Amino acid sequence: MTLVAGLRAASYGIPFQPVAGVFGSDLARVNNWKTVTDPYSGKEVYAIPAIRPDIAVIHVNEVDEFGNARLYGTPFWDHPLTRAAKRVLVTAEKLVSTDHLREQPELTLVPGFMVEAVAVVPNGAWPGSMHPYYDIDYPAVERYLDNSPGALEAHLAAAPEAKQ
Amino acid sequence: MHTWSPFSYIVINLARQIRANEVTFSGVNSTLPMLACVLAKRAYDFHFTWINVAGGVEPQPTTIPHSSSDPGIVTGSAAIFSNQDFYDLCARGGIGLVYLGCAQIDGEGRTNVSSIGPWEKPKVRLPGGGGAAVMLPTAQRVATWRTEHSPRALVDKLDFVTASGNLAALVTPLAVFQRTTGRFRLESWHPDASLEEVVARTGFQFDTAGAGPTPPPTASETAALRAIDADGAFEAEAAIK
Repeated sequence: MTLVAGLRAASYGIPFQPVAGVFGSDLARVNNWKTVTDPYSGKEVYAIPAIRPDIAVIHVNEVDEFGNARLYGTPFWDHPLTRAAKRVLVTAEKLVSTDHLREQPELTLVPGFMVEAVAVVPNGAWPGSMHPYYDIDYPAVERYLDNSPGALEAHLAAAPEAKQ
Repeated sequence: MHTWSPFSYIVINLARQIRANEVTFSGVNSTLPMLACVLAKRAYDFHFTWINVAGGVEPQPTTIPHSSSDPGIVTGSAAIFSNQDFYDLCARGGIGLVYLGCAQIDGEGRTNVSSIGPWEKPKVRLPGGGGAAVMLPTAQRVATWRTEHSPRALVDKLDFVTASGNLAALVTPLAVFQRTTGRFRLESWHPDASLEEVVARTGFQFDTAGAGPTPPPTASETAALRAIDADGAFEAEAAIK
């Protein structure tokens, strides 16, 4: 909630975002969050400072040559993240035609003019999931968690970009 | 030599405010800026990103609606950019050029879209800024237009300040003004008019150094406008004198 508040502040072009709650949490102390007085009610509210990432990297289902990025299913944080960041990079499962995206433009999460560069990486969310194309690869995640010598190398060797 | 009509003068000079590789936004009740964006796409060989109030991003409308907020102006877009998205983009400094309308404008590029006469007891209650109070100071540049060039529209003192900020260009049927900071300066006037006429019909003081007659429309500008308004319906509807 507080992280998305910081991203919202950046995407709105404002220095901070008031957020509900937080009172009573030690997070305010360790993050040095401060309160401001609501000028209308006089009540105190926590103000989360803007978070403006240098770069947002998101993975989507489809992208065209202009960077228009389409997502199926749930966007998670991708909307506030791409609006808050100074630069946006996109990886995608598939390269598609612009005409294909024009058939349902409302599915395009990030318009191309906001995107600096794209890379087409089939299976690029592995070992995570990419709805609706593939589910999370739990055995691969478990192998990644293995701390023994060679496990990381084996994981990287199995990655989709290594197979391209 | 191609010549101006009052309609072509405003549309083409609005289009001339667009710069390469910028995001350019056209809003509600803005038929002339909408036509300027369509014209610029056809007449100029540089790239710019056109977004509009209906959510269009680089639309390719087959027919141009008469309302600049008609959903049809989205046709051909590969993305929909919602109202909250373009307001936020402007607020964080991401829009190069915004077209915003005005009823009155003063010499420092402030606009009134709220009230003629006192706010508390208006002679005419106007529809409001539609975001202008936020967009005028946060857009990199704003261009406005007025179909009437008169001392009651281009005023020394506004009845009400709706918005103040980065007004960069004012286009009327008579003249084009530019502004970077401070006050407007006259950029050019309609070649059938004169500097004296512009001065007489303008309510605010302005610098005239370097101003001259507006360069005529190019062949590609004229051809693009003719293609956009083949039957003259937009020009007739605008009824600009």
